[in-house]
Amino acid sequence: MLENYLPILIFLGIAALVGLVLMGLGFLFGRGEKDAEKLSAYECGFEPFEDTRMKFDVRYYLVAILFIIFDLEIAFLFPWAVSLDLVGGFGLVAMGIFLAVLVVGFIYEWKKGALEWD
Amino acid sequence: MFQAILFYTFAAVLIGAAMGVIFSRNPVHAVMFLVLAFFQSSLLWLLAEAEFLAIVLILVYVGAVMVLFLFVVMMIDINVERVQGGLVRYAPLGLVIAGLMVVELVQLIWARSRFEVATGGFAATPEGYSNTEALGAILYTEHVYAFEIAAVILLLAIVAAISLTMRKREGLKVQNITSQVAARAKDRVRVVKMEAEKRQ
Amino acid sequence: MTISDFLPAAPEISLLCSICAVLLIDLFISDEKRVVTFWLALVALLLNIWVVVVSAPPDPTTIFDGSYIYDPLSQVLKVAATAVVALGFFYARDYLRQVGMLKGEFFVLGLFGLLGIMIMISAGSLLTMYLGLETLSLALYALVAFDRESPQAAESAMKYFVLGAIASGALLYGISWIYGVTGSLKFAEISQSIAVRPELNDVPLWFGMAFLVVGIAFKFGAVPFHMWLPDVYQGARSPVTLYIASAPKLAALALILRVLVDGLEGLHGVWQGMVMVIAVLSLVIGNVVAIAQSNIKRMLGYSAIAHVGFILLAVFAGSEAGYAASLFYTLTYVIMAAGAFGMVLLLSRQGFEAEAIADFKGLNARSPWFALMMLFFMFGMAGVPPWVGFFAKLNVINVVLDAGFPGLAILMVLASVVGAYYYLRVVWYMYFERAEDKSVFQAGRDTRALLSLNGLAVLALGIAPGWLLALCLAVIG
Repeated sequence: MLENYLPILIFLGIAALVGLVLMGLGFLFGRGEKDAEKLSAYECGFEPFEDTRMKFDVRYYLVAILFIIFDLEIAFLFPWAVSLDLVGGFGLVAMGIFLAVLVVGFIYEWKKGALEWD
Repeated sequence: MFQAILFYTFAAVLIGAAMGVIFSRNPVHAVMFLVLAFFQSSLLWLLAEAEFLAIVLILVYVGAVMVLFLFVVMMIDINVERVQGGLVRYAPLGLVIAGLMVVELVQLIWARSRFEVATGGFAATPEGYSNTEALGAILYTEHVYAFEIAAVILLLAIVAAISLTMRKREGLKVQNITSQVAARAKDRVRVVKMEAEKRQ
Repeated sequence: MTISDFLPAAPEISLLCSICAVLLIDLFISDEKRVVTFWLALVALLLNIWVVVVSAPPDPTTIFDGSYIYDPLSQVLKVAATAVVALGFFYARDYLRQVGMLKGEFFVLGLFGLLGIMIMISAGSLLTMYLGLETLSLALYALVAFDRESPQAAESAMKYFVLGAIASGALLYGISWIYGVTGSLKFAEISQSIAVRPELNDVPLWFGMAFLVVGIAFKFGAVPFHMWLPDVYQGARSPVTLYIASAPKLAALALILRVLVDGLEGLHGVWQGMVMVIAVLSLVIGNVVAIAQSNIKRMLGYSAIAHVGFILLAVFAGSEAGYAASLFYTLTYVIMAAGAFGMVLLLSRQGFEAEAIADFKGLNARSPWFALMMLFFMFGMAGVPPWVGFFAKLNVINVVLDAGFPGLAILMVLASVVGAYYYLRVVWYMYFERAEDKSVFQAGRDTRALLSLNGLAVLALGIAPGWLLALCLAVIG
């Protein structure tokens, strides 16, 4: 079974290699003349007024949590898609009900305005 | 042999990433290390031929839960110095828990070595066997009731999350695209015919 | 396989459909007409009782490969839970309207909680039980945090959530051990494999069972896993406290009867000791600490811990009479708890929470009738004859005596005497102290009538407990 994943392993290896090589090249051949002025934050010629890391709005959190819920739904769809020939019509109806329940949730959040950003 | 090398590589990166989670000064970096740790453990699952768990770990944890973590970290605006103080303060408790886990793991390995002598270990998975398929075969038939309850819990989570975090702000001026598109010239401009006024 | 195979599960299916309907209709109701959602939720509950009664098959059956059980016990518990939730919605309505919290989500979350309770009541496997428990808990966490303006509510929701997650973890860990040892999640198969292979009755199984007992004790709020209960009772808004204090106790009873009695009956000798320790601690600590409380919600929280001690001792006795006594006790306690919190809600209004016991001072002068009703609830909980609490306690004491534990019976009597003190203090305040607050109640006429009926039921059940007792014995046997 694991042989199927060999391309992914090779891909991972290449990705790691490319990343390391590019960083290494920069490190080797970069001029690297750093001074305090060069490393400081540049904001139209004046000092930054505040920290760049500001608090996020709670609305991002709502979007993320709604995303997780539908992401989990996908996780349930995976084994279903693979085993559809084994579970047959019964499984099809079961998944239909599952999705119908979540569609109710989708209608709710849409009508409630949770998907709007204002 | 090749698998053993892979296992040790992934495990080493996993431990390194876990260390990074604990020792990063910046909480955002810590979350990124956690992503790496999840990714590596998913590779370990894959080596153990638990494909479905590996996929779900990437799909759900790396893809969604970590995004949520990141938002939360950015939302609560953690002070870096204070977190560092917490590391020292909770170190004894952490060490005790870590020690307990080490003892448990050693016992597990010891028990397993005994167990394997008795039974010869787990049977190898047959060729062409897919545990995702095996899972699906019972999840949607034998455990269909539990599966539908899972849908209910997800629906409940939607309602709970929206009722707890959504706030409608008052007095916002929102663009209404439907009414813009539906606008007709006669709604906007009225041509009025007037008598010319007399000169005074 | 046909549709009629799923008929025993009709209550859950129809309740889910009603929840979806209420959720979607609520979206199209303007804020001024929000009370329509309340009536819709009430219709859903009445429909649910009707379906539970009508859809019952003639004999106990299991469906979904044994993960769903229908038996007379489940029918009684479901009807009781639905009725109590309906009571809670009624008492909550006027209060919610006054404080501006009348939102559709309150009722939808309440209905979701009821669905979780019903799933637990009919659970035939540990997996279904766990999922039902999570449905209930998730709804409760959201309800506790429902008032977003209140820091106390947020704090108690946080405590409840974190501790609840730990308890769920313990439960799940125990479940995995039981599964590992017996090879099944279904209660029938677990008890069968313990009966067939006595060698399983050994340390690994006990280890898993200990975690299950921890999870059960947490959900009941039994000492030493009771820490969340007073804080949540006090921190949540009163309608939510009413909800938490009533119907989920029925689910907790179903949890312990299904898991420890149906599933692990063979290990009775082992879990008996654990349950006894938890029950005795709950009895003592609940009653003693309740004396020191000045907040009525907190006091009722500690009194709930003490009542759980009684319920657990009835289960501890381990006979059919004992299980019937625990069912009788839970059913009657839930009615009294709903009524007592209903009184708290009746006294509260916009900008004023009747949370201190002192707020009941001179209630007799303000409204003799409702002072009498509160007296009924307090006497019922204290176990004064002829109110129903007396028979519930007497039953449990009898059962424990029959099981051969006279020492425990004496302890229960002593605990009841200590408990009587703080209930009677409320009565003293109502009749012999002067009122500081002279405002009139703002609850609607229907709510008052229902609260009066609730109070009279506590008395009536005490005068004629025979039929309920017979019913409890019949559904357990």
